[in-house]
Amino acid sequence: MDCREFCEQHVAYVDDTLAGIELVRMQRHIAECESCAKHDAKIRRALLLFRNLPSIEPSADFSQRLEARIRECQTDHIMAASQRNLRYGAVAATLASIVMLGYIGTTLYERAATPRDLLMPPVVATLPEPELMPITTSTPAIVTSVSAGLSIFPAALFAEQAPVRFAHSKLELTDYTR
Amino acid sequence: MADIVRKRVVAVEGPTIRERLQAMDDSAVVTAFLGGEERAFSELVTRYQTRLLNFVYRTIGDREKAEDLVQEVFIRVYRHLHRFDRSKKFSTWVYTIASNLAKNELRNRSRNPLVLFQTVQKNFQDEDRPLQFEDTTARPDDMYRKRHLREIVEESVAKLPEHHRNVFILRELEGKSYEEIAEITECNLGTVKSRLNRARNSFAEIIAPYVD
Repeated sequence: MDCREFCEQHVAYVDDTLAGIELVRMQRHIAECESCAKHDAKIRRALLLFRNLPSIEPSADFSQRLEARIRECQTDHIMAASQRNLRYGAVAATLASIVMLGYIGTTLYERAATPRDLLMPPVVATLPEPELMPITTSTPAIVTSVSAGLSIFPAALFAEQAPVRFAHSKLELTDYTR
Repeated sequence: MADIVRKRVVAVEGPTIRERLQAMDDSAVVTAFLGGEERAFSELVTRYQTRLLNFVYRTIGDREKAEDLVQEVFIRVYRHLHRFDRSKKFSTWVYTIASNLAKNELRNRSRNPLVLFQTVQKNFQDEDRPLQFEDTTARPDDMYRKRHLREIVEESVAKLPEHHRNVFILRELEGKSYEEIAEITECNLGTVKSRLNRARNSFAEIIAPYVD
């Protein structure tokens, strides 16, 4: 081991984190090299001084001051939480208002845009009286314009009112034996 | 979310709660606090206040400001503990907060050249000496020598560059591992070792004339 390698590994050597073989090599180098031995002693002595510096203690009112600040912190936290809730409420109310206004606006717009139903006077339509046309069928018959499906009694009543068309016909006997 | 959880009071009651908290490791104390046990926070403060105060004081050299910063560390811990990744070490997290605050303080101070590290530190030593140095049985010249030596050591540390000093204090005073220091200072492992080596050498060089 040379001096350069010794200096590179000196941190680990002082902190006692070197592996066994490396540790032995460092110790052997110190035994052989006076300069590195001096360097090692100087570092260790300086560190000993620093490590033995007296510890300072917090002042007597340290805990009280800290507790007071923590209490302030808690109060701020509670206030912040309530303000946050208020903010959320305000945001929710605003959103609801926007939605409502939007709905109302849309509805009004649709009403204005679509044409209203035209109000016209009622039209009375009359069916023209059908012209009576003579029936020119080969088989003479009495034809009434009574609709089917009615019971006999009202049908008879309507039959009285219905126009009766008489067809001129000639009756002949029919022989079914032919 | 954590606030909701915090409102649920943990069923641990009775006079032994403090003893139970003292017996717990940091992770369990944090869990108890998040579960609604407010006394768990006091336990965390008790565990870390002196260590953090020494760390910040050695870094910035101003005792009053160091106390203020440590208070700020605990306020931040209280506010953001629910965000703490519990798969990691609580001590690393809390030291990271303290380290960042100390760095900010030094940065702000460098913008204001009226406040110097040594000036602040000397004022504290003259007016507000810790009690352990008021040993009446000791001879006056011993007391002087002790105080003088301490001043020299603290001044020597203060002369180190900030990034070297930070690593140096975390290792030598707080006994943090290289990995923890790397996490706290947000550097890689190689940088931590290199900075530590340089800080040790520089410190030894600065202090050597006074102790030889």
